[in-house]
Amino acid sequence: MNTPTTEAVAPARPRRPDAAPHGAEIVSFQGVSKSFGAVKAVQDLTFSLRAGETVALLGPNGAGKSTSFDLLFGLREADRGRISLFGGTPRQAITAGRVGAMLQSGGLMPEVTVREQVQLACDLHPRAYPVREVLATAGITDIADRKVDRLSGGQTQRVRFALATAGDSDLIVLDEPTTGMDVTARQGFWSVMKAQAEAGRTVLFATHYLEEADSVADRVLVLHKGRLLADGTAAEIKARAGLRKVSFDLDHAPDRALLERLPAVAAMEIGDHTVRIRSTDADATVAAVYAAGLYPRGLEVTGLGLEQAFLAITGAADAAEDAAGVEAEGSA
Amino acid sequence: MMRTLIRLEILRIMRNRRYLFFTIIYPVVLFEIMRGSYKGVVIPGFDAKTYFMVSMATFGTVGAALNTAMRISTERKTGWVRQLRLSALPSWGYVTAKIAAAAAATLPAILAVFILGAAQGVHLSALTWIGLVLALWVGAFVFSALGVAIGYMAPPDGVQPIVMIFYIGMAFLGGTWFAISGTFGKIAGWTPIALYNELGRTVELGGSVNVGHMIALAAYLVAFIGLAASLYRRDKQAA
Repeated sequence: MNTPTTEAVAPARPRRPDAAPHGAEIVSFQGVSKSFGAVKAVQDLTFSLRAGETVALLGPNGAGKSTSFDLLFGLREADRGRISLFGGTPRQAITAGRVGAMLQSGGLMPEVTVREQVQLACDLHPRAYPVREVLATAGITDIADRKVDRLSGGQTQRVRFALATAGDSDLIVLDEPTTGMDVTARQGFWSVMKAQAEAGRTVLFATHYLEEADSVADRVLVLHKGRLLADGTAAEIKARAGLRKVSFDLDHAPDRALLERLPAVAAMEIGDHTVRIRSTDADATVAAVYAAGLYPRGLEVTGLGLEQAFLAITGAADAAEDAAGVEAEGSA
Repeated sequence: MMRTLIRLEILRIMRNRRYLFFTIIYPVVLFEIMRGSYKGVVIPGFDAKTYFMVSMATFGTVGAALNTAMRISTERKTGWVRQLRLSALPSWGYVTAKIAAAAAATLPAILAVFILGAAQGVHLSALTWIGLVLALWVGAFVFSALGVAIGYMAPPDGVQPIVMIFYIGMAFLGGTWFAISGTFGKIAGWTPIALYNELGRTVELGGSVNVGHMIALAAYLVAFIGLAASLYRRDKQAA
């Protein structure tokens, strides 16, 4: 693998003056649903994107991410709801060169070199950048003369990224862009990506790597079984999961009965001298620990990681769905 | 905007071995075989050499055009068509570029057979040679459009058998290997390949072109372009 992660990333071009002003609504999904037979791929999806944001669409495989993108690009028609891009239809936005896209299912033109492939993308873009610059920004100058059919997974992803950034687009959409990259290549990729966001572009990317959503995105949309479960900053989503972790050590073997009387405890792990609690109200739990006359050592109150928050949110949704299912069966 | 696309499409075809075989080597070899085995056979108005020279040139052209269908099925499989749909290229642009590139790729097929024919002693006036190349090349657009349409007719994996059926069917109906006569011959005479061959032979003999037949050929062109465009649009979600 010779992805050039050490290569200095060329800065992305600044936006043109007539681009959508920072914060303006550029994408809107209003109550969008799409089914394939009995499978509800996307259900009642409502969200909007504002100019300048970097937004992660987070969800496991089958959550409806790719279908949402197909709808966004107008590759599929929604059964219900309204989708607008830059105040028009997806097709109008794409024809105007306002969207740069990197699809998971999108391929490269067979039998051509990387340079030819990028040249084509530039030729098709109404506000294209010079080919040399696009190659440099994507970090693929050194493989420009190779055939696209003979690249590693990570290199292929970079070429596809170059296609998405061949011109001055307002919105860059990336479907699982780092699939097939190792950790270093992934870091290199995100620094390239950040240069685009810093130049003022709106970036929407799908991922199932939670740490990517956490570190790169301004906002996270959590999609699960076709539904939007959460929409907020990574911090908000962690808080929404409502749980904090309280951990401490005790000098003596913990008194289980005493600990179990603590308030707001959602889950507890008790070791020989260590106690780990998941609390819905960490302040109350900690106060009660002292009130019970315990002397906790090395007390730590931490938020959940995005991954745990994600599991908590999707788990709660599954539980609610199961409960609703049981209820429906009971009343039938 | 489409310059690079058309240039790359042609370049890719020229880099392709299958193209070289079906378009140039196969018709040239076949012409050599036919010319030898039909020596002395008289087809009214023609000598065998000249008859088969045109047949093989049209045969190579059809091969080149149908090769387009195979290429499209591959591009649909790899997802390249899908990626292209997310560029500013309008849908007619893709179909146009494909037809143009396929038509450009048919020219070497025509020239290869003609050069061999001239070397083997087919005598035509300079004007007739030029007219013949032009007539066959213009006619090649019909099959290029058909090739694009076939590329979208079936799921990517189902394209190959369809191509073979068309390839063999065209050669048979077009009198590529032997002239068809009788009622069946009359019906076959209205197939695009037969009209195409006829166009070539008419130019060759210096006769006047049958206007009805040429209108029919033009109608095929329009129909195939329409079919290609509508199948491409229908394929939006699958590819």
